[in-house]
Amino acid sequence: MTLRNSAIGIAMLAATSVQAADFKWASTTDPQTMDPHAVNSAPVLGFLNNVYEGLVRRDKDMSVQPALAVSWEPIGEGDGWRFKLREGVTFHDGSTFDAQDVLFSYQRASGEAADTRSWFAPISEVIVVDDYTVDFMTTAPNPLFPSSIANWMIMDQGWTEANDAAVPDKEAGNYATINANGTGAFKVTEREPGLKTVLEPHEGWWGDVEHNITRAEFNPIQNPATAVAALLSGDVDMINPVPIQDVARLQEDSDVEVIKGIEARVIMLGFDHEAETLKYTDDEGKPNPFRDPRVRKAVAQAVNVDAILATIMRGNAEAASQLVSPAMSGYSAAHAERPAFDVEGAKALLAEAGYADGFSFGLKCPNDRYLNDEAVCQAVVSMLAKIGITAELEAMPVRNYWPELREDNYDMYLLGWSPGTFDAEHPVRFLVATPNEEKKLGSWNFGGFSNARVDELLPAIQSELDETKRQAMLDEVAKIIQDEQVYVPMYVQPLVWGTRSNVELTQRPDNFFLLRWVTVN
Amino acid sequence: MFAYIVRRMLQSVIVLLVVGLVAFSMFRFVGDPIDNMLGQERTQADIDRLRAELGLDQPFPVQYYKFLKNAVQGNFGVSYRQGRPVSTIIAERAPATLELAFVSGFLAITMGIALGVFTAIRRQGIAANVIMTVSLIGVSLPTFLIGILLIYIFSVELDLLPSFGRGETVMIGNWSTGFLTTSGLKALILPAITLGLYQMTLIMRLVRSEMLEVLRADYVRFARARGLSDRVINFRHALKNTMVPVITITGLQLGSIIAFAIITETVFQWPGVGLLFINAIQFVDIPVMAAYLMLISVMFVSINLIVDLLYYAIDPRLRVDARAT
Repeated sequence: MTLRNSAIGIAMLAATSVQAADFKWASTTDPQTMDPHAVNSAPVLGFLNNVYEGLVRRDKDMSVQPALAVSWEPIGEGDGWRFKLREGVTFHDGSTFDAQDVLFSYQRASGEAADTRSWFAPISEVIVVDDYTVDFMTTAPNPLFPSSIANWMIMDQGWTEANDAAVPDKEAGNYATINANGTGAFKVTEREPGLKTVLEPHEGWWGDVEHNITRAEFNPIQNPATAVAALLSGDVDMINPVPIQDVARLQEDSDVEVIKGIEARVIMLGFDHEAETLKYTDDEGKPNPFRDPRVRKAVAQAVNVDAILATIMRGNAEAASQLVSPAMSGYSAAHAERPAFDVEGAKALLAEAGYADGFSFGLKCPNDRYLNDEAVCQAVVSMLAKIGITAELEAMPVRNYWPELREDNYDMYLLGWSPGTFDAEHPVRFLVATPNEEKKLGSWNFGGFSNARVDELLPAIQSELDETKRQAMLDEVAKIIQDEQVYVPMYVQPLVWGTRSNVELTQRPDNFFLLRWVTVN
Repeated sequence: MFAYIVRRMLQSVIVLLVVGLVAFSMFRFVGDPIDNMLGQERTQADIDRLRAELGLDQPFPVQYYKFLKNAVQGNFGVSYRQGRPVSTIIAERAPATLELAFVSGFLAITMGIALGVFTAIRRQGIAANVIMTVSLIGVSLPTFLIGILLIYIFSVELDLLPSFGRGETVMIGNWSTGFLTTSGLKALILPAITLGLYQMTLIMRLVRSEMLEVLRADYVRFARARGLSDRVINFRHALKNTMVPVITITGLQLGSIIAFAIITETVFQWPGVGLLFINAIQFVDIPVMAAYLMLISVMFVSINLIVDLLYYAIDPRLRVDARAT
């Protein structure tokens, strides 16, 4: 084993002509499982992207590129997609990858017990044409399907079945919860949940090796101050995230570097659109002012986003005008303007709506979910006070927060949304569409906003193959959302990573950290 | 004596049951684990299904009853977060906490008693006054701050000791020990000091004040009149008589060293049960929280029992009283 590894080390040394290296990194959360179909969460999928691969993968700029599939093409007039698979790919245990593994992984990832099954909602059937060709038949034309499965990872049928892990088990766990056997550039050689996970390069990997890592160790470090100390003392080579308040300090240190970027997550304020009356108010029984778009617009104009970014985010984030950031596909360039900060205008709107004397209401906010979330809410409260509306802020841990929102215990709330497909359709489906349990629409539309035109456009957007027509419809939806001020988008959350200065890496907007782009000099 | 032990045991069981009941009634307020277990694209149907599977839709006394029924058979359930049996996870994590608690407890007792005796005997000396002043820091600074300060000085600035973790460990049977490797021993220093400092100063101040009291007692004066040496008076007569309150406090503090290692473990990312518990709270991992709380209460209850029995051994008056009643 050791002999073989050193042989790879030497081979890599020759290939990349940089010194091979040990690499340690830390993040706040440990991926809770090694099973790529059991939990659909960023820490798990981000980590496992080093170990497992999908048919397609995302490049440094988030564009979709071939991975286990070499090419794909639509079947007929939007009947489905045909994927040509890569030949000569082996799993970490040496077995060969072929179409049966794809079919098996589809069945596993779309089954009852899988957390990833919503990705396959548009699929009616998967057909193995030959060993290296697979057809995915869709119920309706689905132009986005190839890019929507970038995180769907392929498992080896033989290995998974031999270890009794053919069905993901989130509640009780199984062999695949702690062990992994992917086709990715790195294999898991040691796994102690919550303590450390060791990865080593997969010698039989099909891709071109760009990294020079011989061994990588991941340690979860929960306390941000400890993580910063570990980076400063050189105990780890990279941490994610760096607390905003430590950015300036780390930048002064010549041994470490701060890498900043913009995450895909947009932070916004949401309203209760359905309730007849306010729930947390001194004016019992008065009608709910947030049902009036003018009041929602007044809120948008009263919030000074630039001030929030300059003070609370210390200049590390960008203002947002829509539910997605400009980096996402389908972003509506025609609606890039956000309402200007205008206290007088906001007061005028309130007066017009009949609330010249203001009102009081309840604002719910998480305090451990987004960067400085509670501080942002406090700022919003004081900004709204200037136009005469009084918010009573209640901040709570996220584990209490979602149940509160589900039970409609709020008048206004804070929400962050990262589109899993990196497309503008995603937030429309989850946040704006009229809630419909059966069609799986609007599952995060807590306020119950409903607009017939949006509901009509959404299926059309989902199945439109023509880019221009699709964008026109997305533009129309963006306009409705802005005109109605369904949400008040505030800013795109920043990504802040810290590294030792001898480390080069790539920061992707989805906050995934990929070892195959790491070079230690 | 036997009746006393049996009575105390019964009391202990009742205490445990009440602790469990209170814990289970609180879990609802800790939050909802469902959102942590399902991804962003979950539906209400998924939420309801999982809640029913985990039994979270039932009232808490029913959940508690089920927990007890399984716990009696040694089954503490499966962690929501890790998908592995809770008993396995706790067995993996316990050595880290116990080793840390042992070292800091040892440090606290030896240093505490030694410094306490020293400051009591030489209470006018400069050294004693310096120690007393410095010890105020140990009592008044929060553990969290002491830990961060130590990390800053010894790992960031001086680069002598690791900033987090347990270093290399060696498995002896099922016990992972950090005592046998250099990195393991180095990793132990800062957390042990952080955890033990408060207890050390507490024991030291207690020993000192008890000693001062005892040194004024008649039998010490009489001993001096008999012409006994200072050493014999201080250690055989005085120190021994200060030990009853010291043992009580030390015993209870030993429990709290293990129970409240939570903060130290979080600061140093020390992979013990305290860190596990913090993780469990954040994730609302009810099986882990329940098992941890029960374990800690078992520990406190048994430490109290042992302390009571030690009184018997040390203080003859108790034995007389017991017989009289």
